[in-house]
Amino acid sequence: MLTYLREELEKMENKAVINKIIPFSNVDGPGNRVAIFFQGCNANCIYCHNHETINMCTTCLICVKKCPVGAITFINGKVNYDEKKCIECDTCIKICPNSSSPRTKEYTVEELFEIIQEYKLFISGITVSGGEATLRADFITELFKKVKTLGLTSFVDTNGFFNKNDLSNLIQVTDKFMVDIKAVSQIKTLCRSSLENNLENLKYLLKLDKVYEVRTVIIEEYMDIENTINVVSNILKDYPEVIYKLIRVHSSGLSQKQKQLMEKHIPSKEYVKELAGKVQKIGVKKVEYIL
Amino acid sequence: MRSVMKDILDVATSKSSTYQQKLFNMANVAERLVDPREVLGYTDEEMMYIENDMICDLNEGYVPYRPRYIVPDYYVLLSKGCKFLKLDPPTDLDELLDSLLILYSHVPSITSFPVFIGDLDKLMEPFISDEKTDYIKIKRFLNHIDKTIVDSFCHADIGPEKTRAGELILKAIVELENPTPNMTIRYDKDITPRDFALMAAEACLRVSKPSFSNNKKYENEMGDHRIVSCYNALPHGGGAYTLPRLRLGTIVKGVKSLDELLNHRLPKVTNAMATMMDKRVSFIVEKSNFFETSFLVKEGFISRENFSAMFGVVGLADAVNYILKLEGSEEKFGTSKRGDEIGHSILNVVDCIASKHEAVYCERTNNRYLLHAQVGANLSEEDKDNTPAHRITVGDEPILPIHIKQAAPFHEYFTSGTGDLFALDQTYLDHVDAVLDIIQGSFASGARYITTYLHNTDLVRVTGYLVKKSEVMQVGNGEPVLRDTELMGFGTNSNAHVFERRVRKDGK
Repeated sequence: MLTYLREELEKMENKAVINKIIPFSNVDGPGNRVAIFFQGCNANCIYCHNHETINMCTTCLICVKKCPVGAITFINGKVNYDEKKCIECDTCIKICPNSSSPRTKEYTVEELFEIIQEYKLFISGITVSGGEATLRADFITELFKKVKTLGLTSFVDTNGFFNKNDLSNLIQVTDKFMVDIKAVSQIKTLCRSSLENNLENLKYLLKLDKVYEVRTVIIEEYMDIENTINVVSNILKDYPEVIYKLIRVHSSGLSQKQKQLMEKHIPSKEYVKELAGKVQKIGVKKVEYIL
Repeated sequence: MRSVMKDILDVATSKSSTYQQKLFNMANVAERLVDPREVLGYTDEEMMYIENDMICDLNEGYVPYRPRYIVPDYYVLLSKGCKFLKLDPPTDLDELLDSLLILYSHVPSITSFPVFIGDLDKLMEPFISDEKTDYIKIKRFLNHIDKTIVDSFCHADIGPEKTRAGELILKAIVELENPTPNMTIRYDKDITPRDFALMAAEACLRVSKPSFSNNKKYENEMGDHRIVSCYNALPHGGGAYTLPRLRLGTIVKGVKSLDELLNHRLPKVTNAMATMMDKRVSFIVEKSNFFETSFLVKEGFISRENFSAMFGVVGLADAVNYILKLEGSEEKFGTSKRGDEIGHSILNVVDCIASKHEAVYCERTNNRYLLHAQVGANLSEEDKDNTPAHRITVGDEPILPIHIKQAAPFHEYFTSGTGDLFALDQTYLDHVDAVLDIIQGSFASGARYITTYLHNTDLVRVTGYLVKKSEVMQVGNGEPVLRDTELMGFGTNSNAHVFERRVRKDGK
């Protein structure tokens, strides 16, 4: 899957497939931010809430037939989507067998920059997310360089699975990263991909003072909860400015298939609070939890 | 609008008014019984525009015996006390708060309640000694105001500087959740410390106040001013004699083209309002003896030279939508480029006439009346066709960033005040810094005044003033309520659906 994805991405050359742009987001870093969600991910987590951002469209055309208002068409070998006709019923996303979406758009760096400029007076900065934004490191590096000229900050929201040597340019121009540590030893069970380096990457970014927050979604059995919390907390205790956020997994809005997988694995609120207490005890200064 | 004898009986026998409301309403009926053609010298044409609802005089009456809005310089109380009321300058917080409450009951206005009660933070700051006990006093003082100045056009200012008193006031208004006093922080990002601004922004989310005013912009244009009543920017130590308003949504009715509106009908009505204002101002200054008799004038709380008058405008969206329809467009004001063009062409006509008209007794504002984006505080049926100010009709609002960018250029015209309101989603409570970004961005775009409140709070800004939704519902049941503004809130919500403003999340 990953090779296929890379090939697809390279084909795009100087364009990126964007799943969504939120003009004013208050949950993607400090202040009000433009949040840009890149299409394509190297993981496939059990609890993924943006399933439609995982893969590129394979033009299977199922959504073209199923759209109740005819907002999706197939012209010149491409799936097109008419924003004005769309009633946001999400049928296309729900029936996509490929964890993709017809509601994506291709942008050049220049085009994204123009959008950001429109909002520049109202925001503290931008955050790129996904999917996994670091898969488009070169593209984002160019974008961030331009954003800097507006006096805005640039954040990357990442799952932590990347090769840091490939990302040296991006890391240099990024103000802060928001890093998921999904698990420590049970990554394959949870993320259904052979990924590694997340802890190593976290430590590397921390040393560079490039981490804004670390997040762990708590789900039972699919991950090594206590071990993950323990390891991350012991790393973060030396960085009092970095937030550690624990998120209790929830399944609302997910597909039946995903819900079934998660059904018996949602932890109790008390347990998540208890974990937050442990994190604090280990010495992490800024602990947050979302129940 | 003139009253008739029957109004007296209606007021006397009303089931939905308190005694105090009946008393004030009775006085208002009397003020409107006389014929303005005889007393003020209105022409038949001027009178016609009142009778056909094109001009609304907000029931000011035709024997004006006090300026509509009075903005006392309460610092006079600190330095000199008040001779007329036999009050010495206060020496501690108790004396200050007591003297202020006494003084408030002697400050006239159109509603007979003070529309400005001072820079509360700066007045209190010299007397703050023990924050714990002082907090109790401040909270009690604010609650006293809510229960005795039963009109939420009563307005207090704080900022732009941070003070201990300012922080205690913010804490108290959040705990009290009272509609009165209305409140503004005069905000300047170069003066107001970020922590104080964030505290104010959080209070604004929770209890719809304080609103944020663009202090730098107002200081540049108005000099020493205060924000009073809804969001009126007026000279400190003075005020405004009068505020009639052009009902653009009514004026437009029946025109055949934009040209007819801009070159024929609108100039006629606008000119008539200017001359009407001259007559009202002259009566107050020359005949009412207000400035000769008021102790506020004699003792320096206000001076005649600091007064101006306000040129109100309401219903721009409706006028624009009417013209758009006439031009065969299905677009609506707020999301239409052509609509914005029409809107600006209408306001340019009004602005041009107001800025050429030689105003009387308005030397403080270069002998000009100041444009004001009036939001509707009237129960008239005609207000159904007149969306507040230049605001986008509820239901037609675009996404937040587009909305702000659409609105900000319209703020430019209204030197004596305008404002926009945004209902935010609950998530902003955890991200107040994002709210401050939105406010700062709005000001950088040229906006004058912004209020942001949580969509699910009980305390809601109707147009400029605050009401509790729960109390407005009481009005709907025909029960008497404490504040006249709740009656207006009921009427305005029925007309403009202000409780159903678009809820903003993710910038939508």
